Amino acid sequence: MLLRKREKGQDKAAGAGAPVCREETGARRAALDGEKSARAVFFIAAAFSVVAVFAIVIYLLVASIPALSEVGFFSFLFKSKWLPKFYEDGSRPASETFGILPMILSSVVVTLGAVVVGGLLGVCTAVFLVYYCPKKCKGAYTQVINLLAGIPSVVYGFFGLVVIVPMLEGIFGVTVGKGVLAAVLVLSLMIMPTIASLTKNSLEAVPNEYYEGALALGNTKAQAIFKVCLPAAKRGILSALILGVGRAVGETMAVAMVVGNTTNNFPTGLFMPVATMTTQIVKEMGYATGLRKDALIAIGFILLLFVLVINLVLTLVKREKMGGNALRGRKLKAQQEEGAQKSKAQYAFRRGGIVQEILKYICMALAAVVIVALAAMVAFIIVKGVPNLTADFLFTAGSSTDVTMPQLLVTTLLIIFMTLIIALPLGIAAAIYLNEYAKKGSKLVKAIRLFIDTLAGIPSIVFGLFGNIFFVAICGGRYSILAGSLTMVLIVLPTIVRSTEESLREVADSMREGSLALGASKVRTIFKIVLPSALSGIVTSVILSIGRIVGESAALIYTAGAVIGMPDGYGSSGMTFAVAMYKLTQTGRAGDMEKAYAIAVVLLVIVVALNLLVAFLERRIKRKARGGTGGEKRRAAAADKAHEEAPLASPAAAQTSQREITV
Amino acid sequence: MREEKQAKQQKKEARAAKKQVPPFRFENGVAINVRDMDLFYGDFKALKKVNMTMPEKKITAMIGPSGCGKSTLLKSLNRMNDLVEGCRVEGEITIGDENIYEKATDLARLRKNVGMVFQRPNPFAMSVYDNIAYGPRTFGIKKKSALDEIVERSLKGAAMWEELKDRLGKSALGLSGGQQQRLCIARALAVEPQILLMDEPTSALDPISTGKIEELCEELKEQITIVIVTHNMQQAARISDKTAFFLLGEMIEMGDTDRVFSAPQDKRTEDYITGRFG
Repeated sequence: MLLRKREKGQDKAAGAGAPVCREETGARRAALDGEKSARAVFFIAAAFSVVAVFAIVIYLLVASIPALSEVGFFSFLFKSKWLPKFYEDGSRPASETFGILPMILSSVVVTLGAVVVGGLLGVCTAVFLVYYCPKKCKGAYTQVINLLAGIPSVVYGFFGLVVIVPMLEGIFGVTVGKGVLAAVLVLSLMIMPTIASLTKNSLEAVPNEYYEGALALGNTKAQAIFKVCLPAAKRGILSALILGVGRAVGETMAVAMVVGNTTNNFPTGLFMPVATMTTQIVKEMGYATGLRKDALIAIGFILLLFVLVINLVLTLVKREKMGGNALRGRKLKAQQEEGAQKSKAQYAFRRGGIVQEILKYICMALAAVVIVALAAMVAFIIVKGVPNLTADFLFTAGSSTDVTMPQLLVTTLLIIFMTLIIALPLGIAAAIYLNEYAKKGSKLVKAIRLFIDTLAGIPSIVFGLFGNIFFVAICGGRYSILAGSLTMVLIVLPTIVRSTEESLREVADSMREGSLALGASKVRTIFKIVLPSALSGIVTSVILSIGRIVGESAALIYTAGAVIGMPDGYGSSGMTFAVAMYKLTQTGRAGDMEKAYAIAVVLLVIVVALNLLVAFLERRIKRKARGGTGGEKRRAAAADKAHEEAPLASPAAAQTSQREITV
Repeated sequence: MREEKQAKQQKKEARAAKKQVPPFRFENGVAINVRDMDLFYGDFKALKKVNMTMPEKKITAMIGPSGCGKSTLLKSLNRMNDLVEGCRVEGEITIGDENIYEKATDLARLRKNVGMVFQRPNPFAMSVYDNIAYGPRTFGIKKKSALDEIVERSLKGAAMWEELKDRLGKSALGLSGGQQQRLCIARALAVEPQILLMDEPTSALDPISTGKIEELCEELKEQITIVIVTHNMQQAARISDKTAFFLLGEMIEMGDTDRVFSAPQDKRTEDYITGRFG
């Protein structure tokens, strides 16, 4: 205030300077308002994820209240029969019951089985990759693992359906291979890459000193790895496993293809065909009405609760030291006591480590099994699928009874476009708020991050349910590509926020300081300095999102629908590649399986292409960090050229600049 | 038609003139005046009752052992300290006749007029040209010819036009450390600051680059006021007109450089200068 008064006084004295200064303060106020509103916009974007999670939970809860109150919460959970009856007058027969205990147990058994098998494979693969893989193939092997993590779950399910199930039938001599074991195997293959790459990350984060320290004590390499490095990465591995649990329990389509889908069976045997919570939803959602539909939503809600608990545990594991220290303390104490007893005895130093040597070979063997199995899967699909890529299938527009590629491509592109156009600004703005505006480590930021992580962990079938009862309703009451896109926004949003945030974090603070010190505003600094440096990260998140959309099926089948035919805009229903693939495996019509093979090939090609793109971008980032990229070189050449011309043209240039001044 | 056009043009110019960022007005050759300034990081008092005056178009050096608060003081001169959480300033810092810790202070104007060069060179991940044009562009200069001129002038001002004129389009990250730092100086010069704050600008550089930057400072002081923080006492003695010695958040002594180095008044200054501690 004082300053302004003083300025005004001077203005009167200075006379001519007066308008300049007053206007200047006005402009400054406008700039400040701009800053404030920018901050508000970014904050709203960040708060959106919180709202979304609450909206999903509350909406599903409200929608499942009719069923839960009609049936009773505990009998819903613990009764063992799901027997919907349908009377035309809408009345409810006494024999109708909704109990989901078999589904819950099936989900639990299948998930645990998958995490045990997939976890073992994943951890062993990671150990092999980090410590034993020859340097030459390490990069390629890592790429393959990333690639496998990106393959859509329908493709895994499809592989299970056409290879694993018949194989089980052959090996064990059972008539129906579909069931618990098939689901476990498919899920294991599916979650293995995720677990492997997360484990790899945490193994690589173990300080090299640990390893060297162990070797310096005379440990063999295997001993150092299994006794020092693996325990040191325990927390990372544990969170990888929990993440695997989350993925497995929420997986829908891949399981639905191989689990048998027989309601009310308890998972009592390896080949028992059962229905899990997710498969029950996807099986009946298409035609259920009334109480039955409400009951399905209630299953979704219970599933959501499961996942929320898993997420909570995951957050705790990541944050707390999960009793690791206590355990170590106890062990140490025991060792000390042991040592105290022995302290007077003569020690015999023996060469040990046989167990670790064995573990080493197990790891190598399992890593080989994994790579062979997955390579076989890809090869099998390509060999069987490529002949089915007929010109007819690829290029004709098809009809309302005939699935062809252009329909699927158009639908998928429409969804990708709409989803990104909404999710990208939202996600980037949220990331900007979290990284640039919010106080580091404040409770608000932690809360928002927690909600974003929660959103990322919600299974897509739950998004599908939410989209079905919310977005479909607001988009005119029928399945539409728009409703599907809006549902996908919720799914890809966490990916975009996290990956943008990560790349924002990598922008050095000195860049921001440099810009601010030149008098640039915060908003300008963000848009001109910070975001351009983070561009590759943002592009990566776009590619990952596209991959997610292309591979998604459970969230789209009851939002965008599964109508055959060329869509005519966002109001109409349509199938994406993944949804079509699932649908085609379910019809049993002649020729549909062949089409599914063809789509699987297309999906694989898309995934490979997107992965290569990401890898390329990452390499570019690294090169950029070292200074100089292709683009800059090109610009440099152009500038050089411009510069050679400049001296010749300089008198003219001087003249023009003079003219500009006089005019 | 023509009249209309002219009227429009005039209006445009008038609007542009109104938007101009005015410089600070120095009086009696004083650029910066620090009065009874305390600075807190949370509960920690990093600067205690600092009083000092920095003369216009001179080089003022601040010396003292690590953690004595000299960089903190430097950063508070263009309020870069605002970025540090929990940082609070009491007392007064006036530049010209304006207290820059007034609520109404226009940070953009302040930082345009009080430029800064950091300890480590921090060129943006852009071309040399874009790095220097960034500041002017921030303040609304879009015309290519004007920017070309500014870039050339700034690079000449930083004595690196000859070495860089053929690499204007190349990434600034490909330059050597010394070149990067001088580029950062050129970048700061591009917005025509009245004061340039330098926070140990040569501590990450080799002796030859250091020499170049010192020479540059000598040239720059014809035009602008420089405040430099340095660990290197020879450097302070070589280039500065005034020297202030800091210890544990207090300004112990300030005066003409020759006087401070030849006849320090305070025992602690003498101890530091003669290398007995620090």
